[in-house]
Order: sequence, then structure tokens, then C-alpha cells
Amino acid sequence: MSFFKDRNCYMKDYNLSLIDKIRGFNYLYLFLISLIVFIGIAVLYSVGSSPSVGSTPSDPWKWASKQSIRFIISLWILLVIAMTNLRLWMKYAYWLYGAGLLLLIGVELLGHIHMGAQRWLSFGLFQLQPSEVMKIALVLALAKYFHGASLEQIRSVKFMIPPVLMMGIPVLLILKQPDLGTAMMLVFMSFGVFFLVGVQVWKFIALALVGIGSFPIIWSLLIPYQKKRVLTFLNPENDPLGAGYHISQSKITLGSGGFWGKGFMQGTQKRLKFIPEDHTDFIFTVFAEEFGLFGSLILFLLYTLVIGYGFLISARCQNSFGKIVAAGLTINFALYLFINSGMVMGLMPVVGVPLPLMSYGGTAMITLFISFGLMECVDINREMVIGRLGSIDDE
Amino acid sequence: MSVVWKYEKNHTMQMRLIALATFFLFIIFILIMRLFYLQILQGDKFLLLAEKNRISTRLITPDRGRIYDRNGVVLAENKKTFQAVLIKEQSPDYKKAIESFSKLVSLADEEKERILKEIKNKRAFMPVRVKDNLTPKEVVLLQLNAPDLPGIQIEEGLIRFYPQKEIETHTAGYVSLFLDSEAQDKDDPLLSLPGYRIGRAGIEKSREIFLRGEPGSKKTEVNAAGRSVRILEENESVPGQDITLTIDNRLQQYAYDLFADNAGSAIVMDIKTGDILAMVSAPSFDANLFLAPISSKDWKKLSSNKKMPMQNKALHGMYSPGSIFKLVVALAGLENKIISANTTINCGGYTQLGNQRFHCWKREGHGKLNLIQALEHSCDVYFYEVAQKIGAEKILETAKKLGFGEMTGIDLESEKTGLLPDFEWKKEKYNDAWRMGDTLNLSIGQGFLTATPLQIVRAVAAIANGGYLVQPHILEREETFVSKPLFDAKNLSVIRQGMIDVVNKEGATAYGSRFNLNGMKMAGKTATTQVRRISAEERKAGLKDQKLIPWEHRDHALFAGFAPINKPRYAVVVVVEHGIGGARTAAPIASKLLKKTLELAIEDEKLTKLEARP
Repeated sequence: MSFFKDRNCYMKDYNLSLIDKIRGFNYLYLFLISLIVFIGIAVLYSVGSSPSVGSTPSDPWKWASKQSIRFIISLWILLVIAMTNLRLWMKYAYWLYGAGLLLLIGVELLGHIHMGAQRWLSFGLFQLQPSEVMKIALVLALAKYFHGASLEQIRSVKFMIPPVLMMGIPVLLILKQPDLGTAMMLVFMSFGVFFLVGVQVWKFIALALVGIGSFPIIWSLLIPYQKKRVLTFLNPENDPLGAGYHISQSKITLGSGGFWGKGFMQGTQKRLKFIPEDHTDFIFTVFAEEFGLFGSLILFLLYTLVIGYGFLISARCQNSFGKIVAAGLTINFALYLFINSGMVMGLMPVVGVPLPLMSYGGTAMITLFISFGLMECVDINREMVIGRLGSIDDE
Repeated sequence: MSVVWKYEKNHTMQMRLIALATFFLFIIFILIMRLFYLQILQGDKFLLLAEKNRISTRLITPDRGRIYDRNGVVLAENKKTFQAVLIKEQSPDYKKAIESFSKLVSLADEEKERILKEIKNKRAFMPVRVKDNLTPKEVVLLQLNAPDLPGIQIEEGLIRFYPQKEIETHTAGYVSLFLDSEAQDKDDPLLSLPGYRIGRAGIEKSREIFLRGEPGSKKTEVNAAGRSVRILEENESVPGQDITLTIDNRLQQYAYDLFADNAGSAIVMDIKTGDILAMVSAPSFDANLFLAPISSKDWKKLSSNKKMPMQNKALHGMYSPGSIFKLVVALAGLENKIISANTTINCGGYTQLGNQRFHCWKREGHGKLNLIQALEHSCDVYFYEVAQKIGAEKILETAKKLGFGEMTGIDLESEKTGLLPDFEWKKEKYNDAWRMGDTLNLSIGQGFLTATPLQIVRAVAAIANGGYLVQPHILEREETFVSKPLFDAKNLSVIRQGMIDVVNKEGATAYGSRFNLNGMKMAGKTATTQVRRISAEERKAGLKDQKLIPWEHRDHALFAGFAPINKPRYAVVVVVEHGIGGARTAAPIASKLLKKTLELAIEDEKLTKLEARP
């Protein structure tokens, strides 16, 4: 296992030069990510090429061009973050988390109403989605919290109260927006981190039992449209022209692709606009319609490689902070994929989670590339030793 | 120490990482299985559903076959029509648009409700029929006020049109909107088209399948909004067959007008071919009335009219044939050689049967009469007497041969059979034996016996044409006799002589209705039939003047006959419901009708003047 090989020469004074960092940069990982983005842009080109209703002519580049520009900008963000010092992220982790929390409260106070949900904070030229910021900030904060903790500490209930609150407060704020998808992702990601650092398995089982027991209470807290979505998920045929329309059409689109697909730009469901949100949340159905199971398998392979690589980066990182950050971000990424593909395949309720790297949208793309920048940063600094309090020599 | 906890923790984290990665791989495996299920196992089903999404097949209504009379006069055609439709997505406030519409063009409240309901149920770009069959004046009015009617458009289409209005309602028939509630047992996709109209009466009903034609189809690719993107395939519709009737519209119109305010029916039939030249049921109603949904007021007026305009009395009206049936009794006597033309009976005003007295219509009696004279004067006593000799069985047998008691098989629907009673029937119905009194009632065409005007005219035609029972028909076709004559020609000529004398001998019942058209004359038999039984007290008190009793209680007036007398060609029957007396109301109509028939035949050179000479 070569990636566990010690590089003891950096042990004491761990300061990499820029050249070292560029050398240590994981190019294969970036290549895999970029490949998925390119496939996404191709699908956006196909979606844009469908004849539009009304007088505006169809424009294949309608979404593809903007997405390409976002990719280029995001790429630079990734590179810059990859070059930063990992210790800095640990040092400011709680500050970032605090800022994220404030932004969430800001949304609550002066948020801009969008699609019935307060998710956006307008900052003039661009919109900031605090819940996206929180996805990264929570990982960093949890990583910092658990970095110096011993297994005994982690296994004590008292020690676990602060991280649960750390997760719970933003989750409640996000649920209030309401954004069930993001809230779900934060909960699952946090649980993933708790599991990773060594919380006993029986605690999860106990929690799951409590969760099932309190289901009626949660149900009563859901907004009517969320209830409706859950109900139509359970039986979409009940209402094929109403709320079940998304799910029914999504399955038709996927299924009609068959093994080889209808061919690039040949999807009828896409062309005739039977897919709602075809360029955002439901982009996978367009891909699967045109490229079939064959294409989908290749795409899943790419995603699996990215996730696997993420875990590899975590596994070979020598410091706990980096390990937890890499794992948390990878869990985040995987959750994006699982929830999105689960919902378009009719395995989950439609909760509005985009397909990572492919769905059209700037905020998600930038968040993802910040995550990947951090992943690269962790990988570059995988042999860095970080003391319990973040310095080199406080062990 | 620190190294130990660090190692322990690291070890746990590595193990947990592997566990997490395995778990995620498992989820990915499930997702791929799901994809395999959707795209491979269910792929065909979803592909079909996607095609169903994509392709919309619209039916194109075929042109309904036209209906003509025997001379090519149009009885039913398709007229270009203008209809107003509303497209919801083009109307910012469709309720207001309909309100303004109803101010310009009358719109029943039920219709308004229907329109609002349809708008709710249909997609926003689909036109909803607001009103069809707009008059040119209404079209102009709507166009001028277009700014007040956002979303309302005027479209051109085809609608059935009956130029003869009420004249041919019971022959050509009429169509009306096919209702969704009727759709269960009909599988023609045409019926599901909004605004499809189906035949409800007459030929429109009985020949519906032929008139309908086959729908064309237009396959278009539609997008999710349902809007057509491009045409994939187009099949032309096949128009329905045109149909020519044996009806002569001129005669039909003439016959209808003869009825004026009276209720009843008249049929003119070619005795050789069975062609129905005219078949009138009065009163009638405008066949165009049902094209648009009929208003409840009109419907009430139509359905509560005691003269029953909706009923085709020629086929559905069942009447006692009365004295016309004496022809059948006479024929039965002659055929069975029980009587002859010279059989003489003295009429003293009544026949005594046990303690029951059967009166002749002439209280003082006719005196001595032979068969022909008895027909001429329609003496009841004569037939009471001979009927007792002939017996009911033989009379009924002859009646059956002449087609009483069974459908004529005319090419129109729901014809009635009338009632030809027999011994078993009476036993079953009244649990009583057939009595001589029944035979006496039968002999003058009263009692249980009923017949439709169509049956009567066919029977008279058989007498006139030498004993052939023809098949009456309204659809044009070639018809030749195939059966042997049913009766002896000599016997028939005796009956015919009686009928000739009824009209042409001075003092006979229908003498007032005689005519002579270039030597062509008519023959016939009158009948006056009681609608209700006359009680003994009433008879004692003296019969009231019919004009003084309520219309519904007055006697029916009937006349059946043929012309010309020397070379019969046309048979006629006229029923005037509650017309008081056959000679008084029915015979004049029949006379005018036959005369007109002959005039038209001469005009059309079917009968030469030479042929007409005696």
C-alpha cells in the first residue's frame, strides 16, 4: 500500500513550496471530475437544442455556454484552494461555521422568496445560498471538533452533545426555509462523520428506532407540499397529471432509453418537454434517455471512481482533520448522487437535490469545486502532522 | 500514551472508512439494479408510454352521406356552418367573454354550465364549443364585437341540414348530439368526437352505419403541453354513402299540407314495387330542431303535445282498421266459397246474438243488400251475418295472409306489429274462450284487432295488384314479384268492384271524394272507428254530435284505397286521428293525394294518357 508510505522528512517542519504542491496535486482526480462536467455540458447542449415553445428560437448553447464559463471559473477556485495551507482551514473552521450560521439566519430575516422557499440571499450580482456554505462549513467544524478527540471521548454521550447541536441548528434553520433535500444531506453527512470517528454502531441503531417512533411527529411538522410529495412518491399513479407527473414522466424518460439509448440529441421526451426541470434536477433522465443503460453505467462508473478516490484520499491522509474533511466531503458528494438519482428513478421522494457536476446551476457547481479544492488540499498535505490544537508541536 | 490513542483512533477510522465505502458501493449497486429494471426489464413498456406521450392521433370527421328523394331533391345535407369556440389560454377572463357572448347571441343557461365545465376539464389550448350553427348575422355581430370576446374564435365546419324542415322528419329522420353517457356499448371512435351527431329517427337512424363513413386520422407529434409540433401521418376520411329514397318530396309536402291542424298519417305506395312515395305523420316538427341541444322549453312543448309530433304514426300508430277490415272478411268468404258476390242479406238495423244486440251504423237498416252493395254502404249487419257463417278462424287466416299482425319489414326502425288476435291469444290474455261476439266485432274491424297504417296500405295494395303481398320500402331498390298470387283474381275483382262503388256510386259512403282525371278514378273504403266503447245508456240517449265531445274522445277517421281503378298502380291509406268520420275527413285527403300522385306520374311520364284511358 504505497500511499501509506511515510514521508518522514516533512515530519517536523511541514511547509511545502508551491512547486511541491503542484507536484503533489492529484491530476487524475481532477480529470475524473472534469470528465463528468463535460458530459453534463453535452447534455445541457442537447436540452438546449429542443425546439422551444413560442417565438424564441432554440439555442443549444442556452445553458451549455454558461455552464462552461462556470466550470472555468470554478476550476480556478479549486486550484487556489488546493494551494492553501490545510492548517488555515482548521484554524478558521469554527469561524466559517459561525459565518454560515449567520447567513442562514440572514436568509430567514431578509431572504428573497424563490419558488416558495427562502434559499437565496441576494448579493447584487450573484446569489448566495447559505445552505451550500453550510455543507462545507459543517464538515470543517466537525472535523476540527473530532480532530483531537480520543476514542473514549467520542464514545461518551456528553462529548457528542456539541457536534449534534452543531448539526442540529443549521438543519432546523434549513428545514424552515424549507429545503428538505439539503437538510437531509446535512444530517446524513454528519451521521457519516460520527460513524467514521468511531461512535458506536448501537447508538445509530437506537437513534434509528427513536426516529421511526417519532415519525408521526415529524409528519405533522411537514409543509403540505412536502407531505404531498412524499405521498405521490409512494403512489405516483394516483395523480399522473398532477404532482405525480414528475415521477411518472421521469420514469418513462429513463425507461424508454433502453440499453443503447435513443442517441445523442434524439431523446423524444426531452425534445417534447415532457421532463420538468430537464436541465437541473432531472438532467440524469435526459442523459439516460439518449445514452441508455450503457451510457448510464459509464457515468456511474465515473461517479464511483470519484467517490472511491475521495475515500482513498481520506484513507491515506495522515492527520485526523484532513481525513475527516475528505471523508465528509466525499459523503456529501455521494449523497448528492444518491438522492438525485434515487429520486429520478422513483426510489425516493422528489426533494430538489441536483445531480452533482451535471445539473445546471452556479451555486452547486461552486460549492462542489470548493469541496474538491479542499480534497486536493487534503491530498497535497496528506503527510502534514497537525497537533491536537492545530499547531505542529502541541502533541 | 498519545501514540496509543492515536493509533487506536486511526485504526477505527480506517476500518470505518472501508465500511462506509462498502456501504456506498452497495447503494450504487442498488441504483444500477434499479436502472436495469427500468431500462431493460421495463424498457419496452416505458418506450411505449413515451410514444403515447409523443403521438396524438386526432380523428377527422367524415362527411355524412346525403339523403335524396326519388327525384334527387335534397332531404338531408351537410351545410357549411360557423361555430364559436373558446380557447382558454387566449382568454384572460373567459367567464366574462362568455357573458358578453351571451349578450350578443342567445345562450341557454344549461349551455353556459356545459361550456364552463368543458373549459375546466380540457387543456388550455383545446377549443371548447360555445355555440354552433351560427347565422350569418350572428357571425357579423360577433366579429364586430371581437374586442369584447377575448379567446372566442369563429370556426368553419360542417353541420347536418334538413332543407325540408318538418316535411321529412319521419322519413329521412334527424340527428342529434351523441351523449357521453351512451358511449358504453358503442365502439366506433367517431362517437367520442365532441359534437358528433348520430341518427335518431328515420333513415338517419336505420342507415346510420352507411351514412356515417369512416373517420380519417391525423397523427401529430405533440409536446408536453399537448401542442402539435409536426404532422407525422394523415389519412383522409371516407365520406358516408349517399342514400336515395323512394319518397317523392313534392307528394310528401302536399300530403303534409293536407293535414293542416289534424293529427294522423298518410301513406302512398306503389302497389307493384312497394315504393313508398309519401309517408306522412302529422303533426311533425322541424328536423333541424335537435341539431343544437334542444332547449327544455322546446322539449316540453314537443313531448307534451297530445298530438304526439315525435311519433311516426304510419309505423307506430296502431288503430282498429274498422270497416276497412270488411274487405278482408269479404275476401275470406269468397276465397272459402262460403259467400259469393250475389249473397244477399237483409239489414234490419241490428243483429241479435243471444241477448246482445249488434247495431248497424245505420239505425233504420239498409234493407236487402248483396256483397258489393254491402261494401258500398259499409253495412255492418251484412258482415255480422256472413262472419258467423265464415267463422273467425278463416277471417283471421286471410288477415294473416294480407300481412296483419306482423311487421311489414320496411327499412325503418321500431315498426309496430299491431295485433291480430286469435283463440290462444284471447285465452292467454283474458283467460276466456273466443266467443261469437268477438267474431262479430272482428268482422267490422273493431275489438281486439289493431293495425298500423302501413299494414293497411299493404293489404289494400295486395287487393289492388292481384294478390301479391309486396314489401314496402323507403330505400330505392329494384323489386320484382317472386311469389305466386295469394288469392283468386276473380274474388279480388269482386272486392275491387265494391271499393270502386264506394267512391263512384251515387249515395255510396265516399261518393263526395270521387275524381276523374283524364278518365282515371279512384276506389277505396272508409272506416270510422270508436276510440271508446259506446255504453248502452249513451246509445239510448242518442249519439251525441261528435263535434261536441272532447277531441280525444272523437272517432278516428280512416280511408284506404287505390287508383286508377282499371289499372291499379298506387295504394293509399289516410288516418285522421279523432277525425270523426272516414268519409268526412279521411276520404277527401286520400282523394286529393291520389289525384296528385296521378298528376305527378303523368307529369313524369310514368303513366301515359293512353294508359290512363279506361
